Amino acid sequence: MSMPGKTPAVVLLCFAMAAARPGDARPIHYGAVDDPSLAACDQLDWRGRRDQSADCYRALLASDAAVEIRAEAAWALNDLHGANRLFRLALESTPGDADILTRWGDLYADTHQDAEAMDIYREALAGADGHAFARLGAARVLTRSFDEAAGAWLEPLLADDSLPAGARIGAWLLVARISLENQDLAEAGKALDSADALAAASGWPPLEIYALRAAADQVGGVQPSPWIDRSLAFNPHFGDIYAVPAHFHVIARRYREAIDLYQRAVDIEPGLARAHEELGVNLLRDNQTSRARRHLEIAYERDPFSPVAVNTLRLLDSFTNFDLVSSGEGDPAAHPLVLKLHKREAPAIATYAADLAQHAIREFTQRYSYTLRKPVIIEMYPDHEDFAVRTAGMPGLGILGATFGYVIAMDSPSARSTDEFQWGTTLWHELAHVFTLEATGHLVPRWFSEGVSVLEEWRSGPQPGVHIPLSVYAAMKEDRFLPIATLDQGFLRPTYPDQVIVSYMQAGLVCRYIDERYGHAKLGEMLLAYREGLDTSEAIGRALGLDAPKFDREFQSYVETEFGAFLAGLESWRRSHAELGRLVDSGSWKRAAELADELLAEHPAYVEPDSPWLALARARDELGQPDAALAALRDYWSRGGYDPAALKDLAERLVAGAEHATAIDVLNTVALVQPLDDELHGALGDLLLEAGRPAEALREYGILLALEPHDRADAYFRLARAHSRSGNIEQSKQYLLAALDIAPGYRPAQRLLLELTRAGQDQ
Amino acid sequence: MSMLRAGFIAAIILYAAVPGARAATSVVIVEGLGGNDRYTTEFAAQTADIEAAARTLRPAPEIRIFRDTQATREDILAYLEQLGLRAGATDLLLIYLVGHGSFDEHDYKFNLPGPDLSDSDLLDAFGAFGNRNVVVINTSSASGAAHDRWQGDSRVVITATRSGVERHATRFGTYFAAALSDPGADVDKNDRVSAQEAFDYASREVTAYFESSGQLATEHARISGAAAGRIALALLGAPRTARGDPAPGPLLRRRDELAGQVDALRLARDEMPAERYQQELLQLMLELAEIEERIEQAEADGPPR
Repeated sequence: MSMPGKTPAVVLLCFAMAAARPGDARPIHYGAVDDPSLAACDQLDWRGRRDQSADCYRALLASDAAVEIRAEAAWALNDLHGANRLFRLALESTPGDADILTRWGDLYADTHQDAEAMDIYREALAGADGHAFARLGAARVLTRSFDEAAGAWLEPLLADDSLPAGARIGAWLLVARISLENQDLAEAGKALDSADALAAASGWPPLEIYALRAAADQVGGVQPSPWIDRSLAFNPHFGDIYAVPAHFHVIARRYREAIDLYQRAVDIEPGLARAHEELGVNLLRDNQTSRARRHLEIAYERDPFSPVAVNTLRLLDSFTNFDLVSSGEGDPAAHPLVLKLHKREAPAIATYAADLAQHAIREFTQRYSYTLRKPVIIEMYPDHEDFAVRTAGMPGLGILGATFGYVIAMDSPSARSTDEFQWGTTLWHELAHVFTLEATGHLVPRWFSEGVSVLEEWRSGPQPGVHIPLSVYAAMKEDRFLPIATLDQGFLRPTYPDQVIVSYMQAGLVCRYIDERYGHAKLGEMLLAYREGLDTSEAIGRALGLDAPKFDREFQSYVETEFGAFLAGLESWRRSHAELGRLVDSGSWKRAAELADELLAEHPAYVEPDSPWLALARARDELGQPDAALAALRDYWSRGGYDPAALKDLAERLVAGAEHATAIDVLNTVALVQPLDDELHGALGDLLLEAGRPAEALREYGILLALEPHDRADAYFRLARAHSRSGNIEQSKQYLLAALDIAPGYRPAQRLLLELTRAGQDQ
Repeated sequence: MSMLRAGFIAAIILYAAVPGARAATSVVIVEGLGGNDRYTTEFAAQTADIEAAARTLRPAPEIRIFRDTQATREDILAYLEQLGLRAGATDLLLIYLVGHGSFDEHDYKFNLPGPDLSDSDLLDAFGAFGNRNVVVINTSSASGAAHDRWQGDSRVVITATRSGVERHATRFGTYFAAALSDPGADVDKNDRVSAQEAFDYASREVTAYFESSGQLATEHARISGAAAGRIALALLGAPRTARGDPAPGPLLRRRDELAGQVDALRLARDEMPAERYQQELLQLMLELAEIEERIEQAEADGPPR
């Protein structure tokens, strides 16, 4: 995945009546509700006797049982509106009843309405502070959003033996799940043992325990898991025995394995909406769009409250706005690519994206000695929320790009400002992920895949150079880098706001260190080690001959050598950097130039939009030193600076100084940051034409025209001129006529038309 | 400093009321109060661009700029009245309003030192020009409130907003002023920027600005008047000068005939097969190009000795 950015939130909920038929796995309540008639129906359900349980629930619903019991029956029959109505009715008779409130809260949680669920749990606890099942419900909801406050709700349930066994089972199951997500098999095992003992003693079904044990076996590499057969013997229709382990495949980015398990889940439990939904989302990650849609539609029909299904189906509907552009087919020197680009952007981006992708694939194929086996699909979304839904099923995601194997999804150039996103660099980063994922069968740990991608950005990407945000330097100074063996946690379970970005940079520096100290081949050896299923400590041991603690010490020493001097003066540098901004604002150019020089002497690699290079260039201009200003801009660009306005300024100065070849290179850099700029392509085309490169000029002018410039006559004329230089006389005349059709008095076009016509007559 | 009072740009072109005189162009630029340094600087820059554009027109127009303490309602209206009396029947009037405007659900006002200029004030002033061509360009906030009232025969009205509800300071004015000297605005490449061309250019730039910044657009410019495409607000490029007499009359007449035939062909485009249209267009363009070449040659050579 690429670096975080803005995270606006949009949630869509769709309320549609669900048919009253055997429900989508109403969660096991473990005694949160206690009624013999309901229990009889539940026992049938938990044993997988779906038809019998449905008859039982229907009879219960039609009976004169307590309203809240009938609510449970409606819920079990997937009549969620009916259940809601009945719970509300029950509370009218017994307001503040904590048991009913808790079950009502559970209904809201089960239908993805977490905020409402929390409100109801709090209401229950207001009347009954220690209500165990209300605490459990709250902990479950908070855990879903990785909220650390969940711990406060959970701890008492684990420690107090006097609480209902069912609530404690639920709490241990939650602990087990969290532990598995943290890859702590030992803790997960202990939690499951505790849950198991309680369930056996109190007679609650062991199904969820079996599912998590199967997941633990999978994470621990035990295949096949014996818990699957035990679960199927207990309940042959318990789909979660496959769906829960599938979730852990998704976490490990093993999407194809996840697809297989989710399919098995819905095969034995066709009503399991969650599994259909996850199956759909993961099929989409594997570019199986039709099959994905089918399962998402089933999920939506069964669970119309799920925003993931709604969002993803709407996203699929929007695919009609995208063009598919192929590249590399039939070309032995190229790799097959399919670019899915928005219709209004495709003409401007396709060629650049395809060229960049082919370049990256050639580089990485050689560097990592791995040949891709399938076409690479690259999807670019001008609406960031569409990209977020594509990636996670929900909007509000803060990343710029994601790779699922051979499928890359990312923001398109128009999705974000150039300050926070350079699309060419992001594409380069994501393509490196394709290699690290596929070369290891998706067994590569997150940190290493990110580390290689960041290293490749720095080393060979469109904006080369080691670019580290100042906030990460601050974290380095505070010694916040993680031990190599646990670096994945920085990505998966960040404990402070900037930890993800810090982890990205640390991972990049680790890979850079290995590359420089041990040689690039060692990175390849680590990939091989991961492919064989080794963990990080083992991979380092095999490839580098070190244990993890020794590596950590070496890396720490490297960081101190590379950055120690700068880190020592970091605060002073930051203060001076802020002062530089004030000097620029106040027009104190002489002092600004001096201070910029000082800052750059210490840290020349800083090329963010507030780079001292840019301040230096401006100051030198204001002091009447254009040559020095040009030198500053040139340095800025050579170190990976990407601000489009600054680079366009540099290009103009280079043209004025007759350095056209360099100006072309500079404008090519701009195109990898801000490609949807018609003036850019016109200027670049002109330079290329003048440099005797008409084919490339034609490409630029073609993009210019595709961007629907205001002055279309001029665009047509430029195309005509380039075609005539390429010897394509008839095409040139066609474009000249197109120009003259708009502007009959356009003299340059008239002259060229005459010239070409006369030349044709002379032959 | 608060910037509460809106202004607008009004350019009024007055007509020289000399019987039998060649059609004249008058340009009036009213630069209203900026309210703070930023807008004061911005409006001054727009006025400078507009003035520079006006000075390219031929024959040279009469230009009057109202700014600072001279930009009073009384002085502006008095000047307009005087122009109305002097204007010739075929004279052209360009009125630019640069500044801030406001709308109180009843009246539009352009912000000036002292009493503001209302839409009614200018409507009365326009009345003094009768059927003469008047082009009003009002780039102020809320200028759209005046648009419908100012519409009329022989009148081109351009406002930066579509109604009085759009009350934010506009970007349209800066882009419109820039259009007057940008060859990119001259879409038909006739070396002149028409009112329609400047409007199209500025509107497009405004849209692009809001799209690129991810903001909802707070202004939507409007234009009305059939003559918008025919009235030039600026000429581009160096004026063509001949060492001697202009090109022979027959060449110029033939050029005009060909230009007319091109126009007629373009109007008939939809009624003929595309291939035939292209062939006929090509023939006309080739002949037009040759005529233009001969005209240029004749102008360069000067009159025969």
